[in-house]
This record gives sequence, C-alpha cells and structure tokens, in this order.
Amino acid sequence: MLAGLAGEAEPYRRLLKELSGILRAYYARRAPPGIDAEDLVQETLIAVHTRRSTYDTGQPFTAWAYAIARYKLIDALRRGRLHLRAPAEEADDMFTPPAAAGGADAAMAARDLERVMAGLPQRTRDLIRATRIEGLSIRETAEKHRMTETAVKVAIHRGLKSLGGAYGGSDVEGD
Amino acid sequence: MSKATDDLIQSLSAHVPKVAAGAVARRVALGLGLGAIGSVILMLIWFGPRHDIAQAVATPMFWMKLGYAAATGLIAAVLLTRLARPGARPGRLAALTLAPFALVALMAVARMVQAPPEAYRAMLMGHSAMACPWRILVIGLPVLAGAVWAMRGLAPTRLALAGLVAGVAAGGTGAAVYAVACNETSAPFLAIWYTAGIVAVTALGALAGSRLLRWR
Repeated sequence: MLAGLAGEAEPYRRLLKELSGILRAYYARRAPPGIDAEDLVQETLIAVHTRRSTYDTGQPFTAWAYAIARYKLIDALRRGRLHLRAPAEEADDMFTPPAAAGGADAAMAARDLERVMAGLPQRTRDLIRATRIEGLSIRETAEKHRMTETAVKVAIHRGLKSLGGAYGGSDVEGD
Repeated sequence: MSKATDDLIQSLSAHVPKVAAGAVARRVALGLGLGAIGSVILMLIWFGPRHDIAQAVATPMFWMKLGYAAATGLIAAVLLTRLARPGARPGRLAALTLAPFALVALMAVARMVQAPPEAYRAMLMGHSAMACPWRILVIGLPVLAGAVWAMRGLAPTRLALAGLVAGVAAGGTGAAVYAVACNETSAPFLAIWYTAGIVAVTALGALAGSRLLRWR
C-alpha cells in the first residue's frame, strides 16, 4: 500500500489482487441473500482505490481495508432495505494472525460463539455450552437440566445442525 | 477468479497518482475554512461587528467568548480529521472536547457565587438569551456544510458520530464568529447560551450525519 500511495503501479496491483481474495472470502460468508458478493468485492476495491488517501500509514493496512469492507456491507444492507443487524465485530477480528492466538483469541472465539448461538433457544444454548465448552457428559447435563439423555442429544444435534445451516457448515470465524 | 474483478484491478492499478501525506487533514481544513469564511460573511451582513469592538478587544470577556468557542471548534476539527478514516475511534480526544466548556462552566459558577442574587437574572439572561443559540445555529450552518463536503470525499465509517463531531466543529466555529458581533459580557451567559447554540448545531450534525455523510 505504501508503494501504491507513492504511485508505484505494480506492487499496488499485486496488493489489490491479494486483497480481492481476502474480500471474496469475507463477503462469501456475509453477503445477504440477493446481493452478489463479487459486486461487493469490486465496490470495496474501488473504494480502497479512490479513498486511499484516508489510509494512515502508521496503522495496519488490513484493519483499514476491513473497515471499508464492513462499511460497504452495511451500506449494501441499507440500500437493500434489509433490516438485518450488521455484524458487530471489530476491525481486527478477521485479521488476527494465528501467531497471536492465546488469551485475546480465545476471548474473541468465545464472544463469537455467543453471537452465533444468539439465534438458538436458551435451553439449547445452555446444553451446547455445558457439553461442548464446560465439558460435561451427556448424562451430567441431562441431570442438571432434568431432561432425559435422549432429549439432550436431540436438542444439541438440532441446535448444531441449525447453526451449520446458517453458517454454511464451515467453522465459524476460522481462517 | 472473476474476470470482471481482474479487469477492474488492472484498470485501477494502471493509473496510480501519488497521494500526498496529510491529504485528509488538508481536505478537512479546506472544508471548515471555506465554511468559516461563509460564516463570517453571514455575520457581517446580518449583524456586523459589535459597535464597541475597538474597546471590547481590550476586555478579557471578549477573548473568553472567542476562546471558548474557537477552542471547542478546533478540538472537534482535529477529532473530525481522525473520524474521516475508516475504522477510526475517537479516543481520548473526545473527552478533551468538553474541556473548554468545563472551564467556562467553572468560571460561571465562580461569578455567580460572588454575585448578589438580584444580579442573577441579568447574568444568566443578558439581553439576547433567546436569540443567541438560534443565531449561532444559523451562523454555524456554512461551516457544517463545509464539513459535510470534506467528509463525503473522505471515508468515515461511523457516520452518526462523524456527523456529531462535524456539528461540534461547526457550532464552535459559528459561535466564535458570532462572538465578534455579540456584546454580552457575563460568563454564565456564555456557559449557557453559547453552549446551547453549539449543542443545536451538534444535534443537527448528529441527526443528519448518517444520511448526509454516506459515501459510495
């Protein structure tokens, strides 16, 4: 990007190329129905280009590009009159390098999980949390919630399945 | 992947003019500056400078009014430059915007404590309390327009917040310009009615921000 700001075409072209791949992955998961993810990729590339003067060279490039991507997504939702809630994550979510994993990453993953599960019934959320995060067995969970083991299994299975349906079955925030 | 996207990348990177450092700050300064010129012209046509301006410049109150408004506007202008960038956060500077007001409010309270109760009404209301905020609102409008123009060419992503800060910058500047025409002399008046004017422009900016500042 620094090369781009300095007017060097070739490194700049490579940057846009690489960015388009990242954006494609970003919008593939988030573009609402009826909006073409590739259109958003292109709009964002144009915005990155025309508004490159707003990039602060002291800041991470990815955070800046991601903020534009998020703005474009919200803008598309608004224009589409789809009153969906815009993703509330912060700029560094997508680009946190694996090397930085640890406390912050775990906290972020936990937060992401809560957000993802927000669409499920309270009971199902509790069951999933108990078995998958706290590490309780099915029987312990069943006792705790005064349910039969079969009912617990079915509820968890349904819950995970509906999450899979909503998020394309892939791992939720991983890259 | 996509042919169209590849073509787009080719054409975008075919012509990459150099971008000067400080382009954001320059554009914000230009927008606010042109707006301020508009405000001054408006003030001169509407009121003209106060008649006793020659004596007034020797009084601390004249500079306090000007200083309070200008300092608030200036801090907000710096904050606005920050919010012109995608993903920016206001940070500590946001609290600093209130510092001039806190100072003036303290001074107002100090004056009130010293004054006899009979003087309260005159100190609080002056002779133009009802007109003052509206005049500041109107005089601030050209600056608000300038700020909106500047921001639309940049890339704010928190539009309502950016609109609010643009409002503070415009309100502060408008109030500073109006201070040249206004001959009120009490600190409580300044703390209440100038602030009300700045708040009016701020509210307008915050309400209009998410619409006016949207960029494609």
